[in-house]
Amino acid sequence: MATAVLTKAPIRRDDALIEEYGYDDHFHDHHHGDKYQSNFVSHYIFSQDHKMIAKQFLITGMIWAIIGASMSLIFRMQLGFPEESLAWLKPVLGKWITVNEDGVGTLTPDFYYALVTMHGTILVFFVLTAGLSGTFSNLLIPLMIGARDMASPLLNMLSYWFFFLSGTIMFASLFLSTGPFAGGWVAYPPLSALPQAMDGSGAGMTLWTISLVLFVVSVLLGGINYITTVLNLRTKGMSMWRLPLPIWAFFVTAILGLLSFPVLTSAFFLLMLDRGIGTSFYLSDIYIGGAALDHVGGSPILYQHLFWFLGHPEVYIIILPAFGIVSEVLSVNSRKPIFGYQAMVFSILAIAFLAFIVWAHHMFMSGINPFIANFFVIFTLIIAVPSAVKVFNWIATLYGGDVRFNPASLFAIGFVSMFISGGMTGIWLGNSALDIQLHDTYFVVAHFHIVMGVAAFFGMYAGVYHWFPKMYGRFMNETLGKIHFWGTIIGAYAVFWPMHYLGMAGVPRRYYSFDNFQSFAYFDGMNKFITIAAIITFGFQMLFVINFFWSIWKGRKMTTRNPYQANTLEWTTPIEVGHGNWPGKLPTVQRWAYDYSKDGIDHLPQIQPVLEGESSEH
Amino acid sequence: MTTLIVFLCIALLLLIIVQIARVRDLAKQLRGKEEVEATAVASTGRGLLLFAVVFLLATAVSALYYKNWMLGFGPLESASIHGASIDSMMKWTLAITYVAFFITNAVLFYFAYKYRTRKNHKALYLSHNNTVELIWTGIPAIVMTFLVVGGLDVWNDTMSDVGADDQYMEIEATGYQFAWQMRYPGPDGLLGRKDFRLISGANPLGQDWTDPKNHDDILVNDVTLPVDQKVRVRITAKDVLHDFYLPQFRVKMDAVPGLPTYFIFTPTKTTREWRKELSAYPEYQVPDPESDDGEQLWENRNFELACAELCGKGHYSMARVVTILEQEDFDIWYAGQKSYYEENVKGTKDDPIYMAEIQQRRGDLLEAADNALSTPSAQDNTIDLEAIRFESESTEPTEFSTYQLNDLIVLMEQHPEVRIELTVDSDTENGATELARSRAEAVRNYLVASGGDQDRMRILAGDDQGENEGTEDAQARNQVLVFNIIQGDVNEPAAAAAPESDTEQEESSAE
Repeated sequence: MATAVLTKAPIRRDDALIEEYGYDDHFHDHHHGDKYQSNFVSHYIFSQDHKMIAKQFLITGMIWAIIGASMSLIFRMQLGFPEESLAWLKPVLGKWITVNEDGVGTLTPDFYYALVTMHGTILVFFVLTAGLSGTFSNLLIPLMIGARDMASPLLNMLSYWFFFLSGTIMFASLFLSTGPFAGGWVAYPPLSALPQAMDGSGAGMTLWTISLVLFVVSVLLGGINYITTVLNLRTKGMSMWRLPLPIWAFFVTAILGLLSFPVLTSAFFLLMLDRGIGTSFYLSDIYIGGAALDHVGGSPILYQHLFWFLGHPEVYIIILPAFGIVSEVLSVNSRKPIFGYQAMVFSILAIAFLAFIVWAHHMFMSGINPFIANFFVIFTLIIAVPSAVKVFNWIATLYGGDVRFNPASLFAIGFVSMFISGGMTGIWLGNSALDIQLHDTYFVVAHFHIVMGVAAFFGMYAGVYHWFPKMYGRFMNETLGKIHFWGTIIGAYAVFWPMHYLGMAGVPRRYYSFDNFQSFAYFDGMNKFITIAAIITFGFQMLFVINFFWSIWKGRKMTTRNPYQANTLEWTTPIEVGHGNWPGKLPTVQRWAYDYSKDGIDHLPQIQPVLEGESSEH
Repeated sequence: MTTLIVFLCIALLLLIIVQIARVRDLAKQLRGKEEVEATAVASTGRGLLLFAVVFLLATAVSALYYKNWMLGFGPLESASIHGASIDSMMKWTLAITYVAFFITNAVLFYFAYKYRTRKNHKALYLSHNNTVELIWTGIPAIVMTFLVVGGLDVWNDTMSDVGADDQYMEIEATGYQFAWQMRYPGPDGLLGRKDFRLISGANPLGQDWTDPKNHDDILVNDVTLPVDQKVRVRITAKDVLHDFYLPQFRVKMDAVPGLPTYFIFTPTKTTREWRKELSAYPEYQVPDPESDDGEQLWENRNFELACAELCGKGHYSMARVVTILEQEDFDIWYAGQKSYYEENVKGTKDDPIYMAEIQQRRGDLLEAADNALSTPSAQDNTIDLEAIRFESESTEPTEFSTYQLNDLIVLMEQHPEVRIELTVDSDTENGATELARSRAEAVRNYLVASGGDQDRMRILAGDDQGENEGTEDAQARNQVLVFNIIQGDVNEPAAAAAPESDTEQEESSAE
């Protein structure tokens, strides 16, 4: 290890370096004034500035997260405390609460399933896809690669507004007299295809599919933009191997989305045809509501193949951005390079590739040929290898570090813990033999909530706390952030850990009540515990929401450009970042993003040219 | 109201926390940033360490606490042969992943604590190390290989279909909104054909009654199986996806409309044996809240069938009891079950075989009439109407007699020149002649009510048929058909369709 003592004069930073080495693209010669942000509407609403669009995605995502989480509290209360009255919710939920002669209000099974379905749809698509990837891809890609904006600001704006429209339609479906769609977020036909199978499969399902098709448009518009931007708008010197890890993650995420979301759309289009004009892609041999239907020859399993061909990459679309964010936050706050940068990139690529050939592990028990399952088991369990590499690298990044504890780094550490806990149970579920027992039980609920729900939220929180100053020029309250962290990590484990036991006891998911079965009825106490833990954990998330909005206007002001002594380019922009990101020349990149504590120097920003006597290895 | 207060309290609590946090941040500026930060780092570091210890301990303790409620442990070890291999695979996976989980979590939090930032503390510059990367790529790869091979071995054993010379019993489970219907093959050991278009109230599974394999199939709600006998469950659905789920047997398979699936398993313990096992565990020695007689939990425990694929608003209620019996007990139970066809379908209008017979009978009748009318001899002018029966001690024709009665109307319409004479057999008992005559009148009344011409009908006394016809000429005689209604036991309408299979024969064929 090189420990050369550098004799150079004090290292110059920021403006001076950009002025000397920067690349002049004559940006401000061409952009007199700010045509993108000239008035209220073009600045705050139909903005084409990637930073504003990122904030729009984030705040919309937060609103959806509150709606989605509140839904989970309502159905958790019904599940944990079926005897307690929910009559007080009647002013909000109306006829979905039935009050018996004793005045005890109960959530109807129809609406219970509607809430479960909406919770899943909202959290998976609107919060963890749009809110996470949409926010940070938009915010960080141009800033970290040294670009003025996205390749197409217009498409970027449209991406948000398609998302907004999609959300509006989904929101409208909540107010239908037959209720929103209630057949589970995976929307398996025939349940989702036949209005006579369930109330929610009528108009609710129609709006659900329209909403999600619009959502796919939003994802695709965003995705092609992210890919184009990363490939074409990197500043001088920013080779692919110098990209900060979040950018790699966002880039690969966008490719995953671009390749898999269209398949989901086609699945939905076929479903619409089955629903609307009587085709039989997914339907066959059905007798329902006292009549045999005309559909013959379709296969419900075809839908499952199409759905999970998106559905599985989707979980990586959710978690890869969190990987990237956590890698960056851990590295900055450990004052160490991310351990094994190349291994981290290759593991992202490996996971992304494998994501496309494991989809049928969601379908081991669906009636597919058991022989086919062999391949999916093998590929699925191979994913454990790159995932393990990532975990070990994160832990090794902490090793020998000088770890700062702030809300961002705590959430990043919490993310690794969650990812380990949730990843381990993936090894159970990916093994088809164990899936016979565990499929569609609470074990699955525990697994995916921890590994892609809570873990992705932890990644998102780490990102928000870390880059909040870049978004609003102020810091979030650190003490509140820490309380939020402790409440969330303890709360999330309290909610989801016991579900492993429920699952191992065989308790199926998506049950409105467990009273009909001796085998599942024992766990009243545990269900109450989970519900209480969920309510408390939700309270801690409200703390975050309060902190967030309070800090936008009242938070401690940012006084230096680079508060974390980080190396990446976004911290070379002014505190109040205008349109175009850099007021003068574009910065050029001289080194990779992770020269922390190298040669005894705390950090060497990417714009810093190689110093005399600097060791060459990294 | 209480809920409102609870929510107000939560809001207040949040407000207090926010205020405390603000005060702390202000205090930080006053008391000197570095000092405050050093304390914060120390306490957060200790917090992380404490969290790791408590969390990891809690995972172990809680797992032990719930052990006897989890499938694969104690009283819930698998009740099927393949389930035992799944249990063993699960325990291996549990051991490996728990160790990995424990170590990585412990190291993660320990490192965070150990390398927390302090004054004059510097980080290492450690960017990569290909050797350790190789090691921690290799170890998981080896462990995964072990798990993949073990898992696939169990999987392929479990899922492979029955071979040509396997001894097994095939039953069928059909899921619908919101219950299960079980079908047993009956004495022939074969399940009959079915088609969703044939489903009706009287034919819940859409069985095709023209397939003789269906005639002995038994429909029941609950699952009853013999111990130690391989069973292949054919799994189907009527309306939407369901999932045939027997938790204690490690059986789970989607029921897909239009695509029959299957699951093969062999139960290894009877319900009675299982209850006895349960009785050894304190968890099951508590009073059963469902029982009124103060029985203990284990005494009423049953294996269960559930649905494990969201199928609508009643998804959570598709419960059926699974009973495993000794082979002898099962045989007794099985022999006591009645074929659905025999009990509910045979000889009814839902029975296509019976309906075909009626068609056939109409053809025969019309043909016999044609024959009788086309020959000059009056010898064959007497036609027996075997299908017309009466309610016991009554003049009322049975429901299924109407088919042949209607045939008579058709016949009279086809041959407007024909007159008919009706005679009803009196029973062997004496004094029944009066009843026979009333019955014949009832038949005539029925025919008249259905549009028959009363002038063309005549009733003959039971025992004097044909004796006073000798004086009429041959031409006229040909225009008279004498219908002889043979009496039978009206209490057995089924016998009308297939007289050869009476109750005794049925039982003997069941053996």
